[in-house]
Amino acid sequence: MKKTLILIGNILIIALLLVLIMFHVSREQKRNFSTKTAAFENMTVAMENVATNYLLGEEQVCQSWANHINSNRMTAEEAISFVRSSISSSDVMAHILFEGEQGLTGLSTAAQLHNAGNYTVSYQNVSNFADRLSKLVKKNNTVNVTRAYTNPINAIQSMAFYSPVTLKNARTGEAQSAVLLRIIPVSAFEKKWVFPTEEYKNAEVSLINAAGDYIIKGLSFKNSNFYEFYQSYNSAKPAALEKLKNSLMGPSGIVEINNSSEERCIVAHTRVNSTDDWTIVTMITMKELNKAEMSWTLVSIVGAGLLLLLVFNLIIMMNLNRQLKAAAEAADRANHAKTDFLSTMSHDIRTPMNAIIGLTTIAGKNAEDSAAVRDNLKKINLASNHLLTLINDILDISKVESGKLNLTPVTFSIVECADNLVNMSNPMVKEKNIDFNFRVSRFEHEYLYADQLRLNQIYINLLSNAIKYTEPGGRVNVEMREEPGETEKTVRLTYIVADTGMGMTPEFMAKMYQPFSRQTDSRVNTIQGTGLGLAITKQMIDLMHGTIDCQSEVGKGTTFTIVLELPIADKLIDEMMLPSMRVLLADDDNVLLETGKEELIAIGVTVDTAQSGAEAVQAVSDRKDYRVVILDWKMPDMDGVEAARQIRAKLGDDVPILMISAYDWSDIEEEAKAVGVNGFISKPLFRSKLYNKLNELLGHEKAQSEQDDEAADIAGMRILIAEDNDVNWEIISTLLEMHDVETERAENGQLAVERMEKAHQGEFDLIFMDIQMPVMNGLEAAKAIRGLSDPWASKIPIIAMTADAFSENVAECMAVGMNGHIAKPVDMKRVLKEIKRIKDEIKK
Amino acid sequence: MKNYVRNWTLSTLMLVIILCLAACGKKEEPKSQENKAGFVPKLDTKTECSITVVGHYNNFEALEAEFNRFSKYYPNVKMTYTFMDGYRKGGSRILSTALAGGEAPDIFFTFPWIGNWPDGADILAASENLADPSLGIDLSCIRENLLKKDANGQVLSVPVYTTTYGMLVNEDIFAKEKLTVPTTYAELLSVCETLKKAGYNDPILACSKDSGDLLYPLFFPYFCGQIQGNETALKELNEMKPEAGKYMRDALTLVADFMGHGYLDLKSCGALKDNYDAVILRFFEGDVPMMLASGNTVSGTKKRESRSEAFTARPFKYSFHPVPSTDKGGYFINAISIGFGVNKHSKNLEMANEFMRFLVCADELNQMANTKRMVSPCADMSLDSVYAPFQKLDDQRFINISELGVKDSAASQVSKAGWQVCLGKMTVDEAVAAFGSMK
Repeated sequence: MKKTLILIGNILIIALLLVLIMFHVSREQKRNFSTKTAAFENMTVAMENVATNYLLGEEQVCQSWANHINSNRMTAEEAISFVRSSISSSDVMAHILFEGEQGLTGLSTAAQLHNAGNYTVSYQNVSNFADRLSKLVKKNNTVNVTRAYTNPINAIQSMAFYSPVTLKNARTGEAQSAVLLRIIPVSAFEKKWVFPTEEYKNAEVSLINAAGDYIIKGLSFKNSNFYEFYQSYNSAKPAALEKLKNSLMGPSGIVEINNSSEERCIVAHTRVNSTDDWTIVTMITMKELNKAEMSWTLVSIVGAGLLLLLVFNLIIMMNLNRQLKAAAEAADRANHAKTDFLSTMSHDIRTPMNAIIGLTTIAGKNAEDSAAVRDNLKKINLASNHLLTLINDILDISKVESGKLNLTPVTFSIVECADNLVNMSNPMVKEKNIDFNFRVSRFEHEYLYADQLRLNQIYINLLSNAIKYTEPGGRVNVEMREEPGETEKTVRLTYIVADTGMGMTPEFMAKMYQPFSRQTDSRVNTIQGTGLGLAITKQMIDLMHGTIDCQSEVGKGTTFTIVLELPIADKLIDEMMLPSMRVLLADDDNVLLETGKEELIAIGVTVDTAQSGAEAVQAVSDRKDYRVVILDWKMPDMDGVEAARQIRAKLGDDVPILMISAYDWSDIEEEAKAVGVNGFISKPLFRSKLYNKLNELLGHEKAQSEQDDEAADIAGMRILIAEDNDVNWEIISTLLEMHDVETERAENGQLAVERMEKAHQGEFDLIFMDIQMPVMNGLEAAKAIRGLSDPWASKIPIIAMTADAFSENVAECMAVGMNGHIAKPVDMKRVLKEIKRIKDEIKK
Repeated sequence: MKNYVRNWTLSTLMLVIILCLAACGKKEEPKSQENKAGFVPKLDTKTECSITVVGHYNNFEALEAEFNRFSKYYPNVKMTYTFMDGYRKGGSRILSTALAGGEAPDIFFTFPWIGNWPDGADILAASENLADPSLGIDLSCIRENLLKKDANGQVLSVPVYTTTYGMLVNEDIFAKEKLTVPTTYAELLSVCETLKKAGYNDPILACSKDSGDLLYPLFFPYFCGQIQGNETALKELNEMKPEAGKYMRDALTLVADFMGHGYLDLKSCGALKDNYDAVILRFFEGDVPMMLASGNTVSGTKKRESRSEAFTARPFKYSFHPVPSTDKGGYFINAISIGFGVNKHSKNLEMANEFMRFLVCADELNQMANTKRMVSPCADMSLDSVYAPFQKLDDQRFINISELGVKDSAASQVSKAGWQVCLGKMTVDEAVAAFGSMK
């Protein structure tokens, strides 16, 4: 309704503007018209002078002839002869007329056309001429000129100037009165009546007498009489005619009439003062006179322009309104989403918090019962981890939705990635007794270039979901394969996770990538989850320009397929080639047997395969030249441990036996080693992993425990910790002390800077810097430390340790010169890893 | 639905504004081809020239209207009608002079008797043959008996107007006096008597300035009716034999009889200065029941209605009737009033002929006749409503003067004889005896 009002308002404003423009234009036109009309009238008045001058001039010529004739007492023949000799123009003719019984008759300077030599002329047939002439001759104060008439000698419409003359009768010698006429064709006279300006080129002029008879007639003037003309085309009543006559006989002025084409015309009139009753009438059509400088076309264009503007604005406005409406709806949805989010978060956070608080209370009450306390702490740890996962997921989804999730590609090993997947899933697989198979196809490129962290996150999300939602005793198969990419420098990495879990309904699948989407199922409710995992996964895959496909059937299971096109890292794998040897590989899984055999052959090993423990035992019975035996742990008829026992018995101690397991082998490690197993290798069997392990077994290279190295590296270090929060200080300092690291606290940034100013070289190895602190925050402090004069102090490694965990926070830290970033809550493994990285960089 | 209605309302409002603006624009000129179906210009429509038509009419609005219509096709052709002094007087030689002069007209009025003028031969010699097929003038629209061909089969003039003779009747007076317009001579006398008694001093009037006025509309048609088909009479009359005067006797007797009743007051007739303006304005005074006139006079009535203060103040219904000169009624005498000839030496001969091609068709000629209240020369006379009573006459009472074959000289003698009898200057016998020598 409001929009309608606006539109109507706009249209009314436009209409008003147009009306005002039209009113203004109309007024201006009227004013212009008045001005032009007045100018036209003035021009007509000016023509009166032209006419008078012309008429007086012509009359003067006639009068001079008459004077000469009168002064010389000429006979008619002599007079006409004199005049004939005086005429210089062929247009001009002269007649000398006498009034007699036959009317006006006399002599002409020109002979009759049909009777050469006959110079007589008769005005008998020129109606109303004689009476009029005799009357006019008596007047002295006016120009003596006739109306336009047909010259009897040449039948040309002419006008005549006349003067009385006294002639001598040739027979009697007596004086004889006559009239001398100087006759000029009207056409010659009309040529002198052209309006002097181009503006009035279509105007026409006539000369009329008091009766309205034309003396000179313009083309547009019709009839033989102006008043007849007026009446013919104006349907005028006698009163109107009388008014017109009075007007024309009065002073100069303007009247409006219709012409013969029914066009409205302006007629300007002015009396010719030098004549008795002549009036000049000039006529021009109003259309001609009113040629608008500001035309209606202009108004129309303005109007059309305004309307176009309106339409354009309407379209823009409608578009903006549509966008605003969409934005409002989006904001509304976002608001709802925020409310839903807060509600969900409240619930999802309160759940583990409830566990933490409740179990802490229980542990406090059962402080004496160490077993119960340990159990409670274990559960608290689980709840805490879940809470942390939830918070991390929230951070991720927040980044994704705000568009701030940036990929940080690094060179990484897909082998390590797969190992991580196996290692991380092992506990749950073991706990739920799931048949877990992780198969890889032959990988030509171990090192790829991508955001390893996010890639892991994608793979882990899907795999952990598969395990979580698969009932105990079910099966989870993971397949990872490398295929040629679209270019030589990329590979297509396909990751397939198939489970025999509860599956998903089509309805849920339609919205499963939306945040906080969890299938409504009584079984699901018992499983911990934030409902953010798939949303994050999908967003990250999109970010990596990959695809995710899902096939699922309720009760039968789900298969996710992820395809990513990843660049191949420049880093080259060392030439992996073992000395020629024969190896026995035993596994009941044909796929693994096949892929494992391919990988072993690729590193220069001759492989025999066995599909069971018994077959393996038989194989070593048949051949004694196996340099290594690789046995799967879980085989149906005879497991790996039993097979190892029998093989060891047959081969003695020299041949190393390697046990394959997709699971954590800690439970059987002792038993296996007891029967002669020399080492363990986890599925999947990557080439590099096999190479390294075989090398290790054969004594070519020794691997070390990464954790041991890390632990050994940080012992004895001194770390300055800038932390305002007492609890956080206590946690981090206690954790570090557990690794023999000395710590010193600065309660804010300012104190940290001052401490560094006082510190002597080598007093601290690095600084953990909280960001949000009183007096001086961590960023300012870092900046100040980097500005210290002491080169050692200014270059000391600074690692941010903060709850500000967004990527832009990390970027801010790096921008002020920090060397790393650890998000709270503190994960000690991450801390150790970061310290090691810093140390490695320092070493380099 | 609401949005639909709203959008349509707003669109309509905008459209109205646009149309209002468009309406403010200049008036569109009518397309020329709409003026006259069938006429397709033969010449370059951008041709610039002047065409002058000369004649004896003081005013010729009907022709000027045709100029305007023609100018839709040829906007750059300036067409002018010019009145020429002494045009109708054959002895003036003005037309032949004009045709031979420096400002010769392109088109000129013609009359059936023009060949009898002293300069008639010169005029005809200067006239274009309008029947020349190359001109494309369609003469078939003209009543055949009106087209006069010369010995060579040339048509040197095309009739434009024809005329007749009759009486203007003030129908309001007849209605007021509960009279019907007379259709026989007896009824005419009876009506005049009744009107006289009712206080109308002049129950019938006519101009008495010329022999062709006064009772000419009464007796001349009667005379024509008397000799129609009488080849001997026609021959003798045309040969101007004195004994042919006997063929006038009945008509002159009619004149004498009518004048003897005293219904026509010569004094009142003498007050009418001419047979045009004066007669019409006098009739429009509203107290004249019947006015003898020719079609030429009737042609001036329409324009003068507004010029008559009396008629404007007290308008009345009037019509033009045949004068009932016999017991069987009157006659519809049809004679050419004017024709148009083209100067074959015209500087703009092609355009003059093109104008004639435009004009000579039933549409234009009928329109021109209606505008001037004349009788069209076309087969479909398309008579103005004022002429309606003539349409009631039998075909047998329709007399075409051209077809009748009475020469102008004989007709003139009849006219003068009637005039003299009418004025009482001659008896019927004297007038009959004077045939052929009447001045």
